Amino acid sequence: MTICFLATEGLVPWLAKLAQNYRVFAPRREGKAIIFRPWKEGDKAPVPLKATVAPKGVMFPACETLVSYKTTKDPQQLDKVSLTLKAPVKAEPTVLFGCRSCDARGFVALDKAYLGGKFKDPYYEARRNATLIITHTCDNPTPTCFCTWVNGGPASPEGSDVLMTAVQGGYVLEGISQKGNDLLAGSGLPDGSDKLNEARALRTEAAKRVTPRKDLSKAAERLKARFTDMDFWIAQTAKCLSCGACTFMCPTCQCFNITDEGDPASEQGGQRLRSWDYCMSPMFTREASGHNPRMVKAARMRNRVSHKYWYSTEYSPDGRFSCTGCGRCIAQCPVSLDIREIVVKAIEE
Amino acid sequence: MSVLTGKELRIVGFLCNWCSYGGADTAGVARATQPTDLRIIRVPCSGRVNPLFPLKALLSGADGVLVSGCHPRDCHYSAGNFYARRRLELLKEFLPIIGINPDRFEYTWVSASEGQRWQQVVTAFTDRIHKLGPAPRFKDAEPIYDLPGALTSLVRPLDCGGNPALDELKQQIRDALADGHLHCVVGWQQGYDPIHATPLHMRKPEDVDRLIWGPFNIHSTANMITQLIKEAQDAAMVGVKRGDPIPPAKKVGVVVKGCDSKGLVELLQEKLIDRNAVEIFAMGCNGTVSTDRILAKIGNTAARVSAVSGKGDTLTVTADGTEYTMSMNDIAQDKCRACKMPSAKVYDHFAGEPVTVAEDAVPEPAAIMAYLDSLTLDQRMGFWKGQMERCIRCHACRNACPMCVCREVCVADSREPHWVTQDDTVTNKFFFQLIHALHLAGRCTGCGECNRACPVGIPVGALKMQTGRIVQRLFDGYQPGTDADAIPPFLGYEVEEKNIPEHHIERA
Amino acid sequence: MNELNPLLPEVATVVEIVQETHNIKTFRVKLDDEERMKAFHFEPGQVGQLSLFGVGESTFVINSPPTRMDYLQFSVMKAGEVTSALHKLNVGDKIGVRAPLGNFFPYAKWKGKDIFFIGGGIGMAPIRTIMLYLLDNKKDYGTISLLYGAKTPEDLSYKDDIKEWLADPNLNAVLTIDNPAEGWTVDDTHKVGLIPNVLKELAPRPDNCIAVLCGPPIMIKFTLMALKDMNFPDEQIFTTLEKRMKCGVGLCGRCNIGGKLVCVDGPVFSYDQLRELPPEL
Repeated sequence: MTICFLATEGLVPWLAKLAQNYRVFAPRREGKAIIFRPWKEGDKAPVPLKATVAPKGVMFPACETLVSYKTTKDPQQLDKVSLTLKAPVKAEPTVLFGCRSCDARGFVALDKAYLGGKFKDPYYEARRNATLIITHTCDNPTPTCFCTWVNGGPASPEGSDVLMTAVQGGYVLEGISQKGNDLLAGSGLPDGSDKLNEARALRTEAAKRVTPRKDLSKAAERLKARFTDMDFWIAQTAKCLSCGACTFMCPTCQCFNITDEGDPASEQGGQRLRSWDYCMSPMFTREASGHNPRMVKAARMRNRVSHKYWYSTEYSPDGRFSCTGCGRCIAQCPVSLDIREIVVKAIEE
Repeated sequence: MSVLTGKELRIVGFLCNWCSYGGADTAGVARATQPTDLRIIRVPCSGRVNPLFPLKALLSGADGVLVSGCHPRDCHYSAGNFYARRRLELLKEFLPIIGINPDRFEYTWVSASEGQRWQQVVTAFTDRIHKLGPAPRFKDAEPIYDLPGALTSLVRPLDCGGNPALDELKQQIRDALADGHLHCVVGWQQGYDPIHATPLHMRKPEDVDRLIWGPFNIHSTANMITQLIKEAQDAAMVGVKRGDPIPPAKKVGVVVKGCDSKGLVELLQEKLIDRNAVEIFAMGCNGTVSTDRILAKIGNTAARVSAVSGKGDTLTVTADGTEYTMSMNDIAQDKCRACKMPSAKVYDHFAGEPVTVAEDAVPEPAAIMAYLDSLTLDQRMGFWKGQMERCIRCHACRNACPMCVCREVCVADSREPHWVTQDDTVTNKFFFQLIHALHLAGRCTGCGECNRACPVGIPVGALKMQTGRIVQRLFDGYQPGTDADAIPPFLGYEVEEKNIPEHHIERA
Repeated sequence: MNELNPLLPEVATVVEIVQETHNIKTFRVKLDDEERMKAFHFEPGQVGQLSLFGVGESTFVINSPPTRMDYLQFSVMKAGEVTSALHKLNVGDKIGVRAPLGNFFPYAKWKGKDIFFIGGGIGMAPIRTIMLYLLDNKKDYGTISLLYGAKTPEDLSYKDDIKEWLADPNLNAVLTIDNPAEGWTVDDTHKVGLIPNVLKELAPRPDNCIAVLCGPPIMIKFTLMALKDMNFPDEQIFTTLEKRMKCGVGLCGRCNIGGKLVCVDGPVFSYDQLRELPPEL
């Protein structure tokens, strides 16, 4: 394992060096929000806080073209039309800088969904392979954080290539994956092994500040038993607005929509787009016949919660939750709906 | 003739089939010389021109848009252009807030016989657009990501000490629930920490114990009223067979601050809810807070709050073992700073004494509006570009809006018509906000829930405030949601509009 | 299927269109890449996604059997945006195809057994594939029967096929319509009545018999009850499920029933499998 030390004043120059070879995404403040944006030389140092929106968009953009299509008429024979399809699967070398451990673990959950099944998502895979994740271990868990409940922690290395911990005068950088170790080995940064104990002590301190852990090991089993308890679900979701804030903030929510935008016969053709979709929308499962298996929001929330703490445990070989406890869905919810409360109640009552 | 001397610009015309389209025809038949920049779209009536048509054209690259219909009092359908006049005037005055020069949009009246007048209109308008030149485009605007942090002064002293009539309110609700005529009552309870409240649906008298009242009751309770009424109706139908008489549904109870009651009143004005379907529990409001401002005062967005207490104007927050005191002046929500209606006027139960504000008190204009007004048109375009870039299209703004009753059939989710696509370009995302704003013109009660709900803090409410300012000016200070009997301005018209001039183009 | 990108359709041409009923059309399509068409392999019960570019994509079962590979056949009932647009297609038009997708009927395990097919309305499409496939391999199976029902005689699809089916000595075919209609003479093969009722009248014996049923949810529900009344064991009943789908390849997450995705774990389920899933159909 390569361990380096990066002095505080060395951060921006190091990023500038990275930006020469990679697309760098880093969190910055915009209004009250903290948003991952492309970072370029001349920009300020990234904000060392958890971003408002999880950085999953770096691998799974809010909108991308899956296929561009265009029809062309043969000028000699106007009823002869040819159809051209192009699929732009490509990825630039990218560094995702300054996400939290909960964000990095989110990609491990997305990997199960997009790369672990019968078919792989080539768009996601290309970006995933081209991206290096430098995680800023968490030093200020918020009241809505619950990473330790779902087998993570403020400094969990899962999903990260490099772990970065703020210590006195700078940062300790630890290579986690081969990619991360290679990056550090070639970085020219001084050795930071002597500061590793300080970093570890700080992390232990941070972990203590996460909301005391509740045991969720029975979640899947209890949610299964709760499935038909509609009164429970109606009571738990009465205040939900059915918006997509929780889903779009979430580092693990994977669902998407596919729509065609643009006439194939037009000069520029059209695009088949993939865009984020949210299961709290009644449109999500409404069929052309009008039938909707999840007509009411209680059923939709039941699906959302069950997906994260039950269904995912069935399709992941390691039985992991599709939740990293980042707490954004709680903190950012317009009505402060608390998913922890639902799961805990489902287990307890 | 501008077009003969320079490059043609893109001007879109929406012409009424019965008058102006005929007028253009007459001009053509008479071989009147006209500039050729105008691309005409024939519509059945100027009343068919949804203000979103010109707006979409302008956002999609048109350099100018002209709407022309029958002269007022001469509409083929008798009143179409009266409605059009109000809507189009609204649009014209709305444009500057998004950085579009209002001179790029015009509406006028030309009859089928007025070939010569048509020639003058189209020439004058084309000339005007050529003087303005090609329209600035959103994609070229310099984005502004920052937001003004200024706070406006309070129109009245605010108080976070709680309301002594809370017990009275609770008893009223308990009694009503015990009586069995209510489906549920919506109020507030403490959420995951003491500075976060969360909506409370009370179904049994014992649920009322959890009801709170105070500075953290930030959510609008009017928001889900239409859904709850439907829920109550559905509940009443359980077990009812075809042909049986439809049983009466239980009422939906709702606890309101002044602002929440405005939402209910506006829904009543628009006949979207029935007064008999709701039971309103009111109490005087002394102002609510912004949790973001509290956390900013503490200086740590990760602060763990263990207790809060309010006394008069001062809120004491205990976070991570330290006590912080702060004044309502620094932490109150923007809408509360300007609120002149802290107590509901329409209610079934009122607990305690109503809170009032001096009739002649004049609220300071909202900070965001003062800021936008201070920007140039180009800067405003850049402002919205910068803000909308971070929009994730979660639609929390829409779903938190008490006036957005379309819900599952929102035009933004429709592919026919196809107003917005799934593409996440800034203009596409922004167009959704424009739909929301224009659909709320003359209806928005200023509850600010769209702003508050936005997880990334985009001040989308400013767009609605702009419509509010226009409506106030055009309709003599009209305020949506304050009078249950008033007709919303865009559902009606006057034959002679006091504040809308009749022939705009002559000003050119 | 495109091996590298399961979301990229292959270009195909509509070679024939049959108007089955007032709202059902059958499309026969061929992949433009002749090599791919020759190498195309699928199993009965598998589905395909048809793309009409500019409109969208929808899932349909491939209802021509794998033993007859001149073209791929899909039957489309007009319901939403994509199906309405598909109905406007002409022969020679280009579409996109992503196929084959999903699982298939476990016919290998059915060898030596009697098979009883029950199709309602558009639900006849998946039945058609597996039934023709088994008829083409009749020597491996016992008695093959079909009960096909629709609202009216006009709503019966595959009218040319029906004539053959009624005449086929290897198949016991019975048709039914909901209410008496002019020109519909009731006899051994033409019945009047809802599928579950006619099924009880036909009374297939549950021992050594596989029941395969497809149709609208309400028909499935009551036919299942009828089959249970006749003591069909759960593991001998098979059906196909439909959900709103987008990607069709297990990525987009909307067709789940519990932890199962209808697009990759289905569409074919046995009744004992269905009973293990949360009740959210």
